[in-house]
This record gives sequence, C-alpha cells and structure tokens, in this order.
Amino acid sequence: MKNEMIIGMSAVLLGFLAASFSFGADTIKVGIIDTYTGPATAYTFDVLDGFKMAINKVNATGGVLGEKIEFVTRDEKFKPDIGLAMAKELVLKENVDLLMGTINSATALAVSDFAKKEKIPFFVTFSKSDKITGEQGHGYVFQITENTLMAGRAAAFALAKKPFVKYWIAGDDYEYGHAIADGLWTQLKKLKPAVQLLGQSWWKVGETDFTPYITAILAAKPDFIIVATGGSGMVNFQKAAKATGLAQKVPFYQHTAIELSTLEPQGLDAPEGVYGTANYLFYYPDTPENKAFVQEFRKTFNRYPKIGALYGYVTGMLIEKGFAKAGKVDKEKFINAMQGMVIDSPVGKLELRACDHQLMLPMFFGVTKKVPSHPFLIASDIVTIQAKDYMPLCEEIKALRK
Amino acid sequence: MEFLSSICPPEILCQILVGLSRATILFIVASGLTLILGVLRVPNIAHGSLYMIGAFIAFGVSKWFGGGTTGFWMAVVLAPFAVALISLVVERGIFARLYEREHLMLLLLTFSLALILGDLVKMVWGGEYRTVQLPGYFKGPIPVASLPIPIYNLFLVVVGPAVALGLWLLANKTKIGKISRAAAVDREMVGAVGINVSWVFATVFAIGCFLAGMGGALVSPIVNITLGMDHTLIMEAFLIVIIGGLGNVWGALLGALIFGLTQSLGILIWPQFGIVFPYAAVVTVLIFRPTGLLKSTW
Repeated sequence: MKNEMIIGMSAVLLGFLAASFSFGADTIKVGIIDTYTGPATAYTFDVLDGFKMAINKVNATGGVLGEKIEFVTRDEKFKPDIGLAMAKELVLKENVDLLMGTINSATALAVSDFAKKEKIPFFVTFSKSDKITGEQGHGYVFQITENTLMAGRAAAFALAKKPFVKYWIAGDDYEYGHAIADGLWTQLKKLKPAVQLLGQSWWKVGETDFTPYITAILAAKPDFIIVATGGSGMVNFQKAAKATGLAQKVPFYQHTAIELSTLEPQGLDAPEGVYGTANYLFYYPDTPENKAFVQEFRKTFNRYPKIGALYGYVTGMLIEKGFAKAGKVDKEKFINAMQGMVIDSPVGKLELRACDHQLMLPMFFGVTKKVPSHPFLIASDIVTIQAKDYMPLCEEIKALRK
Repeated sequence: MEFLSSICPPEILCQILVGLSRATILFIVASGLTLILGVLRVPNIAHGSLYMIGAFIAFGVSKWFGGGTTGFWMAVVLAPFAVALISLVVERGIFARLYEREHLMLLLLTFSLALILGDLVKMVWGGEYRTVQLPGYFKGPIPVASLPIPIYNLFLVVVGPAVALGLWLLANKTKIGKISRAAAVDREMVGAVGINVSWVFATVFAIGCFLAGMGGALVSPIVNITLGMDHTLIMEAFLIVIIGGLGNVWGALLGALIFGLTQSLGILIWPQFGIVFPYAAVVTVLIFRPTGLLKSTW
C-alpha cells in the first residue's frame, strides 16, 4: 500500500508540475477525476498507472500530431459533489481538452452531464452504471468499462450453458447489486426458460458477516447462487464462503470474483470453485500482446496489472489514435474519429461502438482455482464471451435514450 | 449434535448458533461502550473507531508473527492491550479535562474523535483490503445437524460467556470493580472518601476500550479489515446499549442476544428483508420499555 500511496502521491505532484510548467500550447491536456483515497484506490491507482504507461509511450515517440499528452489528477474522495466541482475547475481553470474518470457512478453521471454542456469529451473508466451510455448517454461521453447490465448479461450467456436450474439471488441492497442481478436474471430467463428462482436475500451495503445469510441459503438447497456484491463485499463474501464451505456445496457466481483485485488480497485462503467474470486477466489470453503489456507494467510498477490497468491503458491509446485519425486537435473532429474506431489492445482488437460510444471489450468467464505458480488463486476453464454477445443492441440504446 | 436436530429443525439450530456468534462480538463491543457510558457518562461515538483500530492492529500483529496459529493468538491477546493503551492516552489527554461538560459537548467531542481516528487509520494503513489468517484448526466448517457451521463461529460462541463471566468477576470481586460501580452511582461521594476518581475513570475507560479492541481482534479473521467497518457497528452497539438499559452490562448482553438472534433468524424467515428484523426488535423493546430492558444506571 505504501508504495501505491507514494506512486499515487507522486502522480498527483507530477501532475501539478506538468500543469505549471506547460506554457506552450503544444499539449493535449487530460483532466482525471477519480477516487484517490479510501478503499476504491485498490482499483483506481491501476487505472492511473495504466494510463501513464500508455501516454509515456506516446510522448516518448514525439506525441500525437506533434503534441505531447499530459494530465492532471483530482481526488474526488468518492463524493459526486466534489467530483463535479473538480470537473468544472479542470475545464474552466486548467483548460483541459478531455476529461477522464471515475469509479463513482454518481460522479460519472454528474460529470457526464457537465461534459455534455461544455462539449468536452469525457472517458468513463471504471463506474458501471448502465445509465452512462444508456438513458443518459450523449455524444460527448465514452465508456471504457462494461456496465452492470452488460456484466449480468455476460454471466447469463455463460450460465445458460450450465446444468443449473434452481437459482438463488443474493446481494448488496443498492443500485449496483440489484442492477447486476436484474440484468443477469432477465437474460438467463430468456436464454433458458427452465430456470427457477427459489428466493432472494439482500443485505445492507457494507455488511461484514455473511455467515447467517449463507447458512439460510444452504437450507433452501439451490443448485446455484448469484451473488451481486461489489467493493469490499466481494472479499467478505468469499471469506464467509470459504469458512462455511459454501463453494463446495453450492457453486456461486460473483461478477469480478476471478479478478486479481478480489483474489490477490486473500492469498491462498480464497475459496476454489467460484464462478466469475472479468474484462481482464493478466495471464489470459496468452497472447504476445498481453504478455508484452504485463511485462512492461511489471517492469514499471513492480506488480501485476489488475483490471483497472487495462482500462487506463486503452483510454490512453484511444486518445492517441483518436487525435491521430482526426488529424487535428479539435474536439468535434476527435469525436467523429472515435466513433467506430478499432484499436489493438492487450486483449485483442477493440471497437468503440459508434451508436453508444461503448468500448467493446471481451468478457472472460472462469472459475477460481489454486495453481502452484502464484501465491493467490487464478481463473481456470476460461470462456471468452465476445462483446456482441452481451452488449445491449443499438436499437435498445436508442429506445432507452428517448 | 445429532440429538439437537430432533428437537428443532437443523436450519433453525444453525441460524441460532450463527446468531450467537454474532451476538458475542456485539456483546463484547457493546459492554465496553455501556461500561464507559455508565461510569464516565460519556457517550463514546469513537468506540467503533477503537474497534476498527483493534482489527487493524490485530492484522499488524498477526503479520509480524508471520500469520498462522502464533500470529492469530498473539493478535487476539495483544491487540486489545494496544487499544487500551491508545485509549488511556486519549483519556488522559482529552477526556480527563472535560468530564464536567454537558453530554452534547461530549457527544460532539467523541464524534470528532471518531473522524480523526478514522483519518489516522487511513494515513497509517491505507484503504486496501486486509485479512487475518486463522489457525488451521479454526478454518473451514463443521457439520452441525447436516448443515455446515464455520468452526470459528463456534469458538466465538464459547468466548462470549467467558467474557461475560470475566466482566462479572471484575465488577463484583475486584476493588476497582466495586469502586467503579460506586462511582457510577455517586462520583462525588467516591471522591469524598479519598479515592482518586480521575484514575478510576481512566481505568474504566481503558477497560471499556480494551473490550472494543478485543471485539475488533476477534472479528478480524472473518471480515475484511477496512475503513468504514466501524460505522455500522457503532450504530448497532448504541442500539444494544439503549435497549439493554444505559450503563448496564447485563443489559448489553441481553441486547446483543436479541440483536444477533433476530438478525440470523430473520434472514431465514424472510431473506429479502432480513435486515429489518433486529431494528424492528429494537423498536418493539423501546415501545414497551422506553428506558431499556434492565435497570439503567443513569
């Protein structure tokens, strides 16, 4: 943590330095608003580091259109009002060309609304509200990460092929939990009408002791449990699952259960046999592109890249390729260039869909397993779900935005 | 354990055991809170922060000893003492000067203290997820009437009564216990007979915070040790203290049992709205006994 703190702090300081020493107009300036204090930093520091890696590469080769890409960061402290104030400050005082961030959905929606008014392109890196590109989507907002609806649908796509029939739904009683569960269940019902819902349990956000919930669910004897938790609930639930032996009795699914952010802190104490989905795994796909990305990230930051690193990295690449394709540092030309653009990434070719500005990332579905090569669990039996199989159709987006 | 399932269905038995283990943690924390409230008359909102600090220290100690069995036991033994030491510094430095102030002032003071301690934790340990390793023999479940119960939860069910017994002995068989009970009733009288009330308060405050630290250390292997783990707990602890009767340690025990059991059984009966049950129980108690179930020392 200390290292991450130092990296984070120095990033902030460097950002300030970069801001104060850039007298020439020959830069493309990105304003990053994200949560840089508290538990969310387990995800956000990786976004920042991934982004830095991408733009350092661009700047080392002379930048884009002869201009260097630079950035400033602001800590929104997981508070939407602070985040919005900072977005305004970045645009009005720092004159940033682009906005980027944040892990907080409420902040993302507030900043998105502001970006629309100010006509500033805004890249949403980590928050997963489906409203961002759905009903509140517009021409200036771009979404890198998958959203709750997409995560639920991706899991449904994989689970429909499994033999489970009797399901139980459990989760954090707030928007994220319900959105994932609803997205999953609606799609699963559609793909496999035979599934039954035995019951649901919803606990308050921040619940620390899941044991009574698990024992009660076991008493109902479902075939499979959909667990819709986020943040610290991910690790807490897995700990309780390990203690009660849940994963050996009834398999369960959690979005991002197989992701490094969830598995690394638990070491070898994490439960085996947990199903999960994630946009990025540092060991899969086993391609030269991914290996090169992991190697470079480890060399620079001395740790494995988590999911956020990919988000930050591709954001940097999109910005470079967007301006290169636009041929001019002009926001409207940039947006036109971005629509439908395809870039190479560590996880293969990625398209930025024109109709809703959603990046089409593949989703990996797998199950947790101990391996001798790592001091933490990794995903095995990985199935790749292509973006087209879990993203809402353009017609659906159109209907939502009316 | 098989004979038990003949008297009551396994799932209910299971929920009762899990509920009792939850009640243990709640009782340990709430008893410290109520002790301080009864003797010092300080509604200590920062009590939850000390619980959180206890968990963080337990993590640090466990890691220092390389985790595993030694790490766990050293954490459980040392963390409460460390928290007691911190609380002693806080008491001598701040509270000792402010006992005569009105409750609202004390409330604001402890609230600000909770915010300060929360930020200190953030500065010292940061926001990452952490966990304390359990000894091998506490890992995993044990079947109780065909349903799995984590072994550690059963251990907690044993710890609860032991702590209650310890508190009873402390209050009734030791000098400090007797003096503090007297001080709870009439602090001026205790001072008049030549006892240094200020140090009695300091001792009681440290004991109360020792319990908060102990709760944090005991809970550290089963939860994710992270910022904000104090928020819900302090609220629940206050509710328990209120329904038990302010300042009454046995009331805290009763309150914790009600809270823990209504929660776990509520989850079984109506899983979608399981969180409502303990709060409904609190409301019911307060309607019929507004001053709490047992006699308040206030």
